[in-house]
Amino acid sequence: MSISTLVSIKGAPASSRHRRGAPDHEPAGSRRSHARIRSHALRAVPVWLRHALFIAALIGVWELAASQGLLDPAFFGRPSGIAAYLWKGFVTDGTLWRGYTLAGAVIAFVGGSVCAVATGLLFMVFPGFHRASEPYLTLLNAMPRIALAPLFLLWFGLGIGSKVAVGFSLTFFIVLSATVAGIRSVNSDHLVLPKALGATPRQVFTKVTLPSAVPVIFSGFRLGLIFALLGVVGAELIAAEHGLGQTLAYLQSTFSMDGVMGLLFLLAFLGLGITSLMNRLERALLDWQ
Amino acid sequence: MDAACAIEVRDLSVRFGGGAAASVLAVDNASFTIVPGEFVSLVGPSGCGKTTILNLLTGLLAETPEGEARVLGKAPRPGNPDIAYMLARDSLMPWRTALGNAVYGLEVRNVAKAERKARARALLARVGLGTFSDKYPKALSHGMRQRCALARTFVLDSPVFLMDEPFGALDAQTKLQLEDVLMDLWSADRKTVVFVTHDLAEAVALSDRVIVMSARPGRILADVPIDLPRPRSIRALQNDPRFHTLYGRLWGLLEQGMAGHVH
Repeated sequence: MSISTLVSIKGAPASSRHRRGAPDHEPAGSRRSHARIRSHALRAVPVWLRHALFIAALIGVWELAASQGLLDPAFFGRPSGIAAYLWKGFVTDGTLWRGYTLAGAVIAFVGGSVCAVATGLLFMVFPGFHRASEPYLTLLNAMPRIALAPLFLLWFGLGIGSKVAVGFSLTFFIVLSATVAGIRSVNSDHLVLPKALGATPRQVFTKVTLPSAVPVIFSGFRLGLIFALLGVVGAELIAAEHGLGQTLAYLQSTFSMDGVMGLLFLLAFLGLGITSLMNRLERALLDWQ
Repeated sequence: MDAACAIEVRDLSVRFGGGAAASVLAVDNASFTIVPGEFVSLVGPSGCGKTTILNLLTGLLAETPEGEARVLGKAPRPGNPDIAYMLARDSLMPWRTALGNAVYGLEVRNVAKAERKARARALLARVGLGTFSDKYPKALSHGMRQRCALARTFVLDSPVFLMDEPFGALDAQTKLQLEDVLMDLWSADRKTVVFVTHDLAEAVALSDRVIVMSARPGRILADVPIDLPRPRSIRALQNDPRFHTLYGRLWGLLEQGMAGHVH
């Protein structure tokens, strides 16, 4: 998953939000007015239309190449076949609506995040514990987690438990390091005033450290949710009773490339949906950024 | 010690770095007193220990100094409700609105919610941010942020204000405006102010007295009364010959301090 994609998705609405917030007579940056003119010119041609045209052309070329035998549908599938597969899965028999994968990803994400934030706070309260456990955590985190999937399958069975375990093990470390980084990133200037005012440690934590750590922790959540999905799908690919990964493995073994491609697109859109949901949430919660 | 003094510093020396050989003498045997309601500036080249003295009075200094320091007759300690401290940078919390930042000190001091909001709103109006109280710092200019920081400091209504180069990062125009805002706020009830700056013009324009310090180790070179009439308009003072005479005199003193250090 590419971080630059996330940043660009995040960046566009953020800049427009900023413009609204700035007072008119004392602009925070006059460069912004140039950006406004340029983006206005761009807006004359709707962006969605250009994207739609581009995608339609791509699908057309793909379909044409497949029907002309330039691109072997047995290896690459073809758009009409992919559409038929998705139609069948979503409309005719509804098998794609079952949501085992999404449920596993959400459970893994919530569990992993809650444990990670709790651990991060524990580290803050007990720095000695943090120092002592750091090498072990680094070692665990360095392990390719997907390689643990066979072990988790043995421990937690073929069902959703093993999938959640893999997703959890990925999410936990991502959110934990974000929490630790967030707590460390507190601006020392923001700590001087509470100190001078004689704020209690609890006041410093709830009113300074935590709010200033939230944006960093949130970027951990965003990444953690994507990795929870990755972990669940990865474990399903290896062995499962249900789920998109299991279906994907089955379709692959039976050379149903239309289905494989359809599921890959579905997973990509699922990831995109998750990312934009998190961005919306972040914008609503972290309006001050 | 004299109970009538707002601030009393006697034979104060501060040494950084613990060990005798490696340690640095930051403040060397400084003594001064400030009476209630007096506006006193500490000026001197950077590293002369003026911020160290301020941090000591606030109770933020980790080192144990020699000599004595008293704020309203009491030894300095962090959380002293008699003190309102203002930092060099605005250091507003970006996740709080202007109002949220202005109430922060009262929140820490456990003032009731309705009261602290009312007091903070009143202060924001006085510094000219009345209509910006629900804006986040990202939407405020440097000058406005520093106005907000002034509101956050003055809302505490403490008898002693300690200010550490509050306008150091501002451009000249904005600085003059903010100095006028500060004079307005201060003139209303004339609390004791210790104002640290390296800007001599600022010190002369604002203060009743200017204490000039030498380069490290910081010694007090002179204690100059500023007899310009009040109320003062900082911008009008810029054309006042008396202002320039005092400025010239202080500049001479400061130069001596620097020269003594270099040679």
